[in-house]
Amino acid sequence: MADLTKLKAGELALLQGNEAIARGALEAGLSLAAAYPGNPSSEILESLADSAASAGIYVEWSANEKVALESAAAASFTGLRAMASMKQNGVNVAQDFICNLTISGTQGGIVLITADDPSGISSTNEEDARFIARLADLPLLEPSTPAECLAMVKFAFDLSEAIGNLVVLRSLSRLSHTRAGVVPGPLPTGRPQPFWDPKQIWNTVPVVPRHQAMKDKLAKAGQIMAQSGFNAYSGPESPDLLVIASGSSALYAAEAAGLLGVDRRVGLLKLGCTWPLDQALLRKHLADSERVLFAEEVDPFIETEVKALYAQQAAELGIKQFFGKASGHLPQIGELTPGRLAGAMAAILGLTWQPAEPQYLQAARETISRLVPFREFGFCPGCPHRASYWAIKQALSLDGRQGVVSGDIGCYTLGVHSTGFRRVNSVHCMGSGLGISSGLGKLKSLGFQQPVVGVVGDSTFFHAALPGLVNARWNQADYLLIVLDNSATAMTGFQPHPGTGQTASGQPGTAVDVEQVCRALGIDCQVVDPYDLAAAQQAVYQAVQGEPGLKVLIFRRLCALVQGRQGGHPYRMRVDQSLCRGDECGCHRFCSRAFRCPGLNFDQAAGRAVIDEVVCVGCGVCAQICPAGAIRAEAKEAAA
Amino acid sequence: MKALANDPLDIVITGVGGQGNVLASQVLGRALLQAGYTVTVGETYGLSQRGGAVMSQVRVTAGAALGPLIPENRATAIVSLEPLEALRVLGQYGHPGVVVLTNDRPLMPLNVLTGQDKYPAPGELKAALEGLCAKLYWLPATEAAFALGAPILANVIMLGALLGSGLVPLGPEELEAELGGLFPEKKMAANRQALARGMELAAQCLGTQ
Amino acid sequence: MTQSPAAGQPAAASLERLKAQVLEAGLCVACGACVGLCPYVIFHDGQVAAPDVCGLEDGRCIDVCPQAPVPDPSQKRAGLLQALGRPQALPLGPLREVWWARALCPDQQGRVQYGGVVSTLVALALQEGLIGEAVLTQAGPEGAPEGVRARTRQEVLAAAGSIYAAGGALSALNQALAEASDHALGLVGLPCQALAAASLAAHPRHAQGARLKLVIGLFCTLNLSARGLRGVLQAAGVRGPLTRSDFPPPPAGVLEVTTAQGTTAIPLEEVRPVVLKGCALCPDLSAELADISVGAAEGRPGWNTILVRSEQGQRLLDLARAQGLLELTEMPGESRQHLSTAAANKRARAAQAWKERADG
Repeated sequence: MADLTKLKAGELALLQGNEAIARGALEAGLSLAAAYPGNPSSEILESLADSAASAGIYVEWSANEKVALESAAAASFTGLRAMASMKQNGVNVAQDFICNLTISGTQGGIVLITADDPSGISSTNEEDARFIARLADLPLLEPSTPAECLAMVKFAFDLSEAIGNLVVLRSLSRLSHTRAGVVPGPLPTGRPQPFWDPKQIWNTVPVVPRHQAMKDKLAKAGQIMAQSGFNAYSGPESPDLLVIASGSSALYAAEAAGLLGVDRRVGLLKLGCTWPLDQALLRKHLADSERVLFAEEVDPFIETEVKALYAQQAAELGIKQFFGKASGHLPQIGELTPGRLAGAMAAILGLTWQPAEPQYLQAARETISRLVPFREFGFCPGCPHRASYWAIKQALSLDGRQGVVSGDIGCYTLGVHSTGFRRVNSVHCMGSGLGISSGLGKLKSLGFQQPVVGVVGDSTFFHAALPGLVNARWNQADYLLIVLDNSATAMTGFQPHPGTGQTASGQPGTAVDVEQVCRALGIDCQVVDPYDLAAAQQAVYQAVQGEPGLKVLIFRRLCALVQGRQGGHPYRMRVDQSLCRGDECGCHRFCSRAFRCPGLNFDQAAGRAVIDEVVCVGCGVCAQICPAGAIRAEAKEAAA
Repeated sequence: MKALANDPLDIVITGVGGQGNVLASQVLGRALLQAGYTVTVGETYGLSQRGGAVMSQVRVTAGAALGPLIPENRATAIVSLEPLEALRVLGQYGHPGVVVLTNDRPLMPLNVLTGQDKYPAPGELKAALEGLCAKLYWLPATEAAFALGAPILANVIMLGALLGSGLVPLGPEELEAELGGLFPEKKMAANRQALARGMELAAQCLGTQ
Repeated sequence: MTQSPAAGQPAAASLERLKAQVLEAGLCVACGACVGLCPYVIFHDGQVAAPDVCGLEDGRCIDVCPQAPVPDPSQKRAGLLQALGRPQALPLGPLREVWWARALCPDQQGRVQYGGVVSTLVALALQEGLIGEAVLTQAGPEGAPEGVRARTRQEVLAAAGSIYAAGGALSALNQALAEASDHALGLVGLPCQALAAASLAAHPRHAQGARLKLVIGLFCTLNLSARGLRGVLQAAGVRGPLTRSDFPPPPAGVLEVTTAQGTTAIPLEEVRPVVLKGCALCPDLSAELADISVGAAEGRPGWNTILVRSEQGQRLLDLARAQGLLELTEMPGESRQHLSTAAANKRARAAQAWKERADG
């Protein structure tokens, strides 16, 4: 990321959607930004952190999304403008606060950014977070391009202040991670003095009248949004097909009409303000069109609401045909693409759509299915998680009682795949592994006899795992928690977290130590280096075989990618092929077959293991698993 | 705005996590923006650092901004840092007229390392690619990058090859200028050499046709 | 997976069969024969496990497992004996001489069992160069036994004393065989280990198997799970490392364990649940595939029974006798009769267990 204050106003720049959101917030006079990292939202706060010093704002990675929004609300209560950004899952974490904040109302402009992830490109779900706007009666904005991101964020702050409530802006992976030309505007000078009038109480009672006030704010927001210009129609006056679209889908729809050559027959109503809906605008366009296709990701949010609106006025508007997710013309799952939109439009208009000649598609399909093996996600070369799961696998196998491992959110979620030896048996949301372990750890009295292990990353530990751990301690759950401490929020791009003792802007904070937290809870706690496979295996084995009770092992080893940036690993790995047993009985390619490190290959011609020097980082761990001592770890200096 | 020979010019840049394809797409996108075109660069990452297949899309037009995804089977060119990924991407973005530029250095999927799956023989892979595109540039980019001292330079070599193919309306100076914004001067010599080497490799490839 | 079997077919791969038919069936007796042959099989704390899929269809692991299903287990034994040039003889196996014996070596007081005959014989075999190295069983760090390798008298004595728990000692033999050395190896092992060692030595794809030159067998009626025994000891309040353990002959009905704190008798009912289920398949009381077998001398504390079975065993005993290391006396006919009856009973029980296993 880079300092966004350095962008020149009026000068075209290639900005990522997330950077455009951040720049828009700076232009709107943002004072505080807080977030918890999560793809695809992370770069919003990262770029604000890089701009914090020059913009004179406070930027924070918070322990979780709820805390982030609460921090932002605090700034709003003092009259400052504030923003909290998160991925769709984070909205769930913050939801309890959102549903109360909307009743209390706010003062300084406050914006919640949710970056949703259709198709779950880097998520455990593809939840549509727009429903938070519907649930909490909050205005909702959906930009389509980075330029719109910037403009809409600025608008959102003004809107929030105008109505005295939170405003939600929803991005998407394909927008947050898309770069396009953006023309920045000017940055503000001066900043309001934060002040909380002691006579002012921000709370939610009496509930019913406050609820009414909340509804009134939404109605007012609707009026302002109708004037925003973010809803726009292009196309003929009475189109053969009206497409109502938001977000990236609006761009796909426009392109699809072009591909089909039906630009002149199709009208596109692009909605940037999607809650509350502009009823007058929709009524007008429904009146002009017999057939309507909805294009949005992921759930039929606009589709359902427009149909409800239509149902109230069907007598005036006459019979319409609606197409979209409900009709099956577009999928209810996964992201949309230009081709999917073209297919839907073609079906509705009685045309045919072929992305390419059928013979070509057939040949490509056949060739790929014959030749192209699946490329599974894997831990990076040198990743400590591979070593950790190896130790867990070995120990639980020796234990022999079919132990189960409940996982959590982070790179180590890949423990459900072969890269983690499929050793993880459950993954849901941040921190849930500890709650599940806690529950399993109490099932002994009901006859559950399998050992229970929970794994959690260091960042996730502080995010939402603590209550689960306290619960387990309090209720004397019997399980082993392994904290996979790689001293980084690696999955989302190495952001600092409470354990690293660094703040978002790179300043020293106070490091919160996992070990001390556990010991303060009275939990037996031991630190092990997972690179030492035998020691790690033995620690897990002893813990599951030992006296019942809650135990914590901290597997501490720096993320291999961070290590790479900090001078790299110490070894140059080499296979002594004269010692390697290859695929004979007695090895049968154990290193590549079982350990599954991408840096460790098998030389088919020689029938022996070989290091892929492009990939191997030199962590040295694989030398421990070779039965013949053929894998050698040599000091890099000596080998060079 | 300048007109484009192919409008839109849609380039898929693919490879395996960690090969630097996001960087390549940014450099290309910035240079094209500077050259006066409307550019959209779609990036897929997140989990992608973890060894999976990754893809960026650079979309260029003289008209209004395009969406982040190239329509299915409509790419102008595919630039791949790994040969298997070039073939994989053809199913989704290929057509008889597509141009493919690929590094010839395989990175084995995990299930190939373990012996559960097979990686196609180089000749077989090359023939399959040739059968599914109008023109194949089969380039020893990693090998050339090793010769320049760092295998990670393969992405810049592939950008050089893309210049050499004549598919993008840019010269090396324009890419160098963008690389210069990302790398300190001490690393620029290697990057310049990599661009030049990539152009040479593409030219050799054209010469053998 | 390339080697995954067709639906409904039993797994073809050796290790996967071993896992299904022995390990996961609960029939492993932790002899260690499959451990250390390859890295897929691991051993720790008396447990054998195979966490990863190997997939090789002609692996040695299942060939050398004494518990692997075979059409006719007695024929397998007879075949291995024949290969060693010793005809099968029931009920006690091949016999050249039978003695009661005790060691005359004074520095083994208290640490050795039943007269210290085994330690004396092993130390002698090393001293006389019959073997260059011996594979023995010794308590590991967690108290569970494991294989150790001894080249000196001191190392032999450190491992002296029976441990009634599954020990995996053959992993140390495999380890020694995998090294690029040519010295002869000796083994002290239970009947299951003597059988597995004979399989290892005779295996066509175990090039170094012929280096095993001496097997000293131990009598065995049953063995305990190492972890199970630890639980039994904990429940009985026995703390600290065992210096000795023993099943005194009937009608004692106890397991006697000795630690620095003294000797505790644990009733057999408490021990039975941790007896290895797989031991029921063993027909062999006296390690009939050994060169020389050693066991208790019934009714004569401090003495051992010795069965000499092979030329090599004879040579070792003759050396011991010549050097005055052992005191030998004739085994009474009645005791020999008891031993034969016990051996025949064990064989009959095992035959029944194999039949039940085959019938599913």
